[in-house]
Amino acid sequence: MSREIVLEMKDIIKDYGKFRAINGVDFSMSRGEIVAIIGPSGSGKSTFLRCINGLNKITSGEIELKGKTGMVFQHFNLFPHMTCIENITYAPIKVKKVPKEKAIEKAKDLLKLVGLEEKADTYPAQISGGQKQRIAIARALAMDPDLMLFDEPTSALDPEITGEVLNVMKRLADNHTTMIIVTHEMGFAKEVADRVLFMDEGIIVEEGTPKEVFENPKSQRLISFLSSMLRA
Amino acid sequence: MEKIMEFMPFMLEGAIVTAELFVLTLIISLPLGLPIALGSKSRIKPLSFLCKIYVWIFRGTPLLLQLFFFYFFFPMALNIQISAFVTVVLAYVLNYAAYFAEIYRGGINSIDSGQYEAAHALGVSKKQTMIDIILPQTMKAILPPTVNEAITLVKDTALASSLPVIELMKATNSAVNRMTDMTPFFFAAILYLLMTFLLTIVASRLEKHFSRYDAKGDD
Repeated sequence: MSREIVLEMKDIIKDYGKFRAINGVDFSMSRGEIVAIIGPSGSGKSTFLRCINGLNKITSGEIELKGKTGMVFQHFNLFPHMTCIENITYAPIKVKKVPKEKAIEKAKDLLKLVGLEEKADTYPAQISGGQKQRIAIARALAMDPDLMLFDEPTSALDPEITGEVLNVMKRLADNHTTMIIVTHEMGFAKEVADRVLFMDEGIIVEEGTPKEVFENPKSQRLISFLSSMLRA
Repeated sequence: MEKIMEFMPFMLEGAIVTAELFVLTLIISLPLGLPIALGSKSRIKPLSFLCKIYVWIFRGTPLLLQLFFFYFFFPMALNIQISAFVTVVLAYVLNYAAYFAEIYRGGINSIDSGQYEAAHALGVSKKQTMIDIILPQTMKAILPPTVNEAITLVKDTALASSLPVIELMKATNSAVNRMTDMTPFFFAAILYLLMTFLLTIVASRLEKHFSRYDAKGDD
């Protein structure tokens, strides 16, 4: 794996009025790396992720991003007035000025990748949540991002269909897609991530390999978080 | 009955003026409402303030007063000669644009912020997001209130009868006066109903068109 740094963040602070959501985070990752961010709700992990692509404007700090990001949201945010394939081809055609035929060709490949070729001409309202999220992943990939951001991609799904989304993400991991995944799926984080960050109260409390974080947690906060996840 | 046949062409002419008033007002005020709606949502404070003031004035005063204002004041202030018809259209356009702007603003506000976020994450510009993502989705939501306003407009055209514009209501009135008979009123009612009926047909067609991407059971 190359060690080319794709993202470097220094002393990131994000305030919402008087509330400090991110309290001085340093973070960097290299191309091909897969990072999972775990932590209790309200810990700032989603806010942190959204700072990377500017959905949240940081209050202070430095972000150096080599290339573009793609994002997958908890609530999919597909464009309901476009068919699945139009959702995928829209940005390549309009933003990247890719010729329409080429964009469609690529979209079909992506639909195949997420296993939904037959849904190309279907509107989002007519498919299931898991299928929507797979289309959303294809839509983000269509822009050839250098870094994929996943903001709790399975949290809005019924437990029995999270698997189909996680399988697609595993496929991306096998292709060495650079990813940051904010998730509550501990098993998935353990299996797929190269590195796991545990965030709480706006800081990275602990980070390391999945083995280190899950099997040998050092801080009391992580220990109690992991045990609360086990009980859930 | 013979008598009404005598007045019918006259009334139909009035109906045509009413239709002209309606169509002209609609095709100008419908698009004009959009920049006002976007303006009042703008982050440029003076612009949004101006648009809000505009809406406040035109929604906050009687349409009849606005008609008189434009008919009497406007040509005088600008020292020009404008036909009553033009001043009336002007007043209707400015008045209805204010209402349409508010309908559009509500429609835009009803779109989930996730749509803006998804567009941003894909690198879509703000302008393109508005044109391709947000506005098409508002269509379904704004259609019923817009049709409602359009139907109100059909009937509001009757206010022009208080100025020297011979539209359906004025034609009807003079027919009644000359005939000393009430039948023209019924005839006028039928003509108004016909116009609003046509509108509802167009509306239901559009409604079907804009709901094509709704969930339809099992595929």
